[in-house]
Amino acid sequence: MKVKWKAAAAAAAVLGILLSACTSGGSRDAANYPKKGIEYIVPFSPGGGVDLVARAVAEYAGKAWGQPVTVVNKPGGGGAVGAQAALKGAAKDGYTVLADNNSSTSMLSAGLSTPPVAITDHLFVSKIVEDAPAFAVSADAPWADFKAFSDWAKAHPDQLTWTSVGPSGFSSFAVAEWMKAIGGDFSKSRMVTTKGASESAPMIAGGHAVLAVHTVAELYPLAQAGKIKLLAVVADQRSPFLPDVPTADEQGVTGLTVRWWTGLSLPAGTPDEIRAKWDALIAEMVQDPAFLEKLKNMKMEPAYLDSGKFSEWVGNESNYLTDLAAKYGIRK
Amino acid sequence: MEAWTLLLGGLAQALTLDNLLMAAVGALVGTFVGVLPGLGPTSAIAILLPLTTVLEPTQGMIMLAGIYYGAMYGGSTTAILMNIPGEVSSIPTCLDGYPLARKGRGGPALGIAAIASFAAGTLALFGLVGFAPWLAERALAFGPPEYTALMLLALTLIVNLSGRSLAKALAMGAAGFLAAAVGLGPMSGMPRFSYGSTSLTGGLEMISVIIGLFAVTEVFKGMEERRAQITNTKLGRMYPDRKELARCTPSFLRGGAVGFVLGLLPGCSAAVSAFLAYDMEKKVSRTPEAFGKGAMEGVAAPEAANNATSSAGFIPLLSLGIPSSPPLAVLLAGLMIYGLAPGPLLFEQNGPFIWTVIASMFVGNAMLLILNLPLVGLWARMTRIPYGIMGPLILLLSTIGAYTIRSSLFDVGVALAFGGLGYLFHKYQWPVLPFILGFILGPLFEQSFLQSVSLSGGSLMIFLERPMSAGLLAAAVILLSFSIRLKKQTQKRISEEAGDFEEIA
Repeated sequence: MKVKWKAAAAAAAVLGILLSACTSGGSRDAANYPKKGIEYIVPFSPGGGVDLVARAVAEYAGKAWGQPVTVVNKPGGGGAVGAQAALKGAAKDGYTVLADNNSSTSMLSAGLSTPPVAITDHLFVSKIVEDAPAFAVSADAPWADFKAFSDWAKAHPDQLTWTSVGPSGFSSFAVAEWMKAIGGDFSKSRMVTTKGASESAPMIAGGHAVLAVHTVAELYPLAQAGKIKLLAVVADQRSPFLPDVPTADEQGVTGLTVRWWTGLSLPAGTPDEIRAKWDALIAEMVQDPAFLEKLKNMKMEPAYLDSGKFSEWVGNESNYLTDLAAKYGIRK
Repeated sequence: MEAWTLLLGGLAQALTLDNLLMAAVGALVGTFVGVLPGLGPTSAIAILLPLTTVLEPTQGMIMLAGIYYGAMYGGSTTAILMNIPGEVSSIPTCLDGYPLARKGRGGPALGIAAIASFAAGTLALFGLVGFAPWLAERALAFGPPEYTALMLLALTLIVNLSGRSLAKALAMGAAGFLAAAVGLGPMSGMPRFSYGSTSLTGGLEMISVIIGLFAVTEVFKGMEERRAQITNTKLGRMYPDRKELARCTPSFLRGGAVGFVLGLLPGCSAAVSAFLAYDMEKKVSRTPEAFGKGAMEGVAAPEAANNATSSAGFIPLLSLGIPSSPPLAVLLAGLMIYGLAPGPLLFEQNGPFIWTVIASMFVGNAMLLILNLPLVGLWARMTRIPYGIMGPLILLLSTIGAYTIRSSLFDVGVALAFGGLGYLFHKYQWPVLPFILGFILGPLFEQSFLQSVSLSGGSLMIFLERPMSAGLLAAAVILLSFSIRLKKQTQKRISEEAGDFEEIA
């Protein structure tokens, strides 16, 4: 009999936690925001870059405001499911926020002519982190540098196999842009779909596919282990975590602009005071030594943009990627 | 061997009072979380990750590893007692564990599960200590064509776990694959069977479907049978006896070996190895007809495999930084937050740390056994709780479990719908296991098949040109013919011994 009560009490406790995390609506009083817990939706699985940054932000905001900020993972549809839940399925009262990323914004609307979540559904608050993509090949691949590899890819596009989470995934845009820059034929190269870096990086290390384009943070462990060779990072400067890997520009391949980023968004139509409060908090957070230390450990760098500049950034990126997608048959 | 000396040093560290406490707390929290369906190791580690950052790296990692092991073990408790597999990898444990519980032998089944987990986990850790870098290297040679062949081999299980009619089993396998195809296609990224609904675009969540087909179906069955409680017999002995232990020892070893080898491969889930181990046990058994009705070996082998896979997963994680399962991906994140990048350099630069963590896995495994064996009696008594209380409780847990995974009410609806379907399947004798195998393995097969064909530029020869995939394909063909023969034999023996025939699933 004792057991039954224990189990029932445990179930009730869990249910209570869940219910308290789910309650929404209520106060429209933006000045006193936040008066209760905030749900922070991550449209990807736990453990990925967007998730890790969101957890660091949630911890900081929770401490600063004295209200629980709970990370909720809603993966699916390449970010579309969680973005839709946060932006269209919740009250516009600031108690549901979204961890945003290329995949849930510009790449979604570039890849699909009728995306489930449009750019205009987001109220962009702040960009927090940017991470440079890196071009990775197997450690025993024959190319000494990015230039040699680019020449090979231009001459043998039909032998170029590269990994991506899907036709309109991050890597597809990076590879399409690179092929355009070197004058290669993107349509002849072959995409291999994977679930993400944890599946694709070993595939490159084992020599099964030729090229993977992921962020520095994602490729760092296997590169350190000496199983993959990083030919170039796509950034204005070399990555502080990989000082020996030259940028694409340094090696004469110019015009590569795709970056990975994550930031915070609210549903369009949320009161402006709430947006301003979050933006001010994040501006403060990116100066905080403890937060910066955490990013450094995750091999990421802060790249803060305020609401105005962030919206402009996403708008530009979206237009650029939509053109690219249309030209290279990525758009559906 | 230098590694062993380092391990002893680590062990001395792990046995300090503080670190022992961390291992105990981790194992306890993990077990509790694992008992709740849906709230598996991934979410447990993700939720508790920020809390561990206040600890020192060593203590934090020890606790996280404890949670991981504990959650894996906790999942088998509900699988045996209530037919709720907390994790996909606990499904094979349900097949014989729950019939044992219904016969009043839940205690010994739980004991065997705990001992199997301990034995296999410990064996796998020896492998981790002895051969980590060498094995990690070999695992990289396993590419998409090899995975395709491996999945094909695993899909031959449909024949062996099919119940009475092979045609029905194949139809159910196909139906399972179709259900798994709902959502975004792996190659095209285009929605399939979504009918314009965003929820369907996100796909059917595996855990919700499984909670529906097992737990919710069980409640419906209990209602129809007007069941008084899960077991009507006296509980009897709480622990497995020496004879049972002796009989199950080869099962521990076989299951552990299968689990260890498959656990090295990045992306091969514990579910696949648990199913393969269960099937192998049935094939080598002299009484295959007892499987599915409460065979101790049917609990021992998959539990051992599942735990060995979890432990072996640390090999690619620590030596290459490749997480082979979602909970390990979160653990990797934990390592990164502490500023420790996995890889061979980790062993060189942070030697004491890594050996302490490995040693504490031994300690954590032993801790699980010590904590759980005394609880076996307590847990087993749950099967005597009146069904009027147990039924609603199972429904409540199922609802919470289905909701928690993606925080979505749609998933709760899916669990209930599949509960209804499962009840109909049972009533009209359509075997559920092939459906689940199609559901789990189908998408893995599709993905690696498409990957292979993309790599080869459309040629199917890629599967035969590579020695490892060709070997696995040959093994699949041999196993298939063996399965068909075994099935015929089993059926003959069953019809000789008893007139009425109970479906395996």
